[in-house]
Amino acid sequence: MAEDREVLRYIWDGRLPVCFNLSSDEVVTVEQPDPYYLLVPRLSYLTLVTDKVQRHFQRAISNESVDEMWFEYDGQPLKWHYPIGVLFDLHGSSASLPWNLTVHFQRFPESEVMRCPGKEAIEAHFMSAVKEADNLKHRSQVINAMQKKDHKQLWLGLSNDKFEQFWAVNRRLMERTGDDPYFKFIPFRIFQSDKQFIQELFRPVNENGEQHTLGDLLHEFVPEVFTSGSTVIDNEWRVVIQGIEPPLETPIHWISEHFSHPDNFLYVVIVRVV
Amino acid sequence: MVETQRKMSEPPQPTDSHNAQAQKSEVSKKSLKKKVEVLLKAAGDAPIMMRKKWQVDGSKQVAYIIEFIKKYIKCEPQDSLFVYVGQCFAPTPDQTLQNLYDCFGADGKLVLHYCKTQAWG
Repeated sequence: MAEDREVLRYIWDGRLPVCFNLSSDEVVTVEQPDPYYLLVPRLSYLTLVTDKVQRHFQRAISNESVDEMWFEYDGQPLKWHYPIGVLFDLHGSSASLPWNLTVHFQRFPESEVMRCPGKEAIEAHFMSAVKEADNLKHRSQVINAMQKKDHKQLWLGLSNDKFEQFWAVNRRLMERTGDDPYFKFIPFRIFQSDKQFIQELFRPVNENGEQHTLGDLLHEFVPEVFTSGSTVIDNEWRVVIQGIEPPLETPIHWISEHFSHPDNFLYVVIVRVV
Repeated sequence: MVETQRKMSEPPQPTDSHNAQAQKSEVSKKSLKKKVEVLLKAAGDAPIMMRKKWQVDGSKQVAYIIEFIKKYIKCEPQDSLFVYVGQCFAPTPDQTLQNLYDCFGADGKLVLHYCKTQAWG
């Protein structure tokens, strides 16, 4: 199981300053509403932490044509069902802070963003991802052995930002089962802007029992980021996990245990340097 | 086979069980044009589908297959439909069938269960 507790805590405490602005063409009051500032957890979801944003802007919009609230950065509608930190690393990491997001209450981008009818929808989405990840790691044995209250504790830990509460249960999902010292497969997703994300099977160790590294994962699924014929990332690209660029020789199993999001997936973001 | 196929907007194509196209190979693994063989099974009170095996473009997303099933079993627009992998988890709607097949496919096909009420959480 995960041992470097300080690392887990550090990742958990990751925050992002965000400045929310109401889309100017949706303002119906004479006075423009003030922007709204929030320090949001990187590990959380936009729709989970923006009740106050909604209330703040509600006064300035027309009551008639109100749709579900959604967010946009630089023309890009943001998918709430990926963790905030992933959205920032993917779309905003070249931006200055605070991250400037535009808030909309009209013209919901149906084709790009899934609707979020309430907190239950976020919880259902989150738990599904946890189950999917455990299917990859332990053939679902750990998650299925848990009780309903354990599942609830994971969700409450995340939604209430309670590190101890969350990790008291999540540590079991990070344990190895039986004699196997490693997960069966690493639950990971590789994100690149304007591309479908990559998710495939990847074992933590090779046939010789040696640990796979982050570099091995990238070589397998996104070889184009390397300077041809070398093991060095091309200057054109950055490989970002949880806002940082970990050394390529880091064992992927350790990264999975420590840098995964609460949904137990490791999100690797490939950004083109501009 | 193709003649018996129901006309729908860009439908997944029916498939023969001995079609080898869905076999996993290193070469075609990354090609998004590859077809994935999907086996659709009803769960709970959902109506079964006359044809259960379909060939679907691997780059299609889960949301697409949900809409396809809803039309096929004639769901009311307001009805929900849930799709599960391995009777275990509901894949995210923007996940591709290729990714799901690569991670959870077996014996050359991807098995999806569908139902009208939440079944496996």
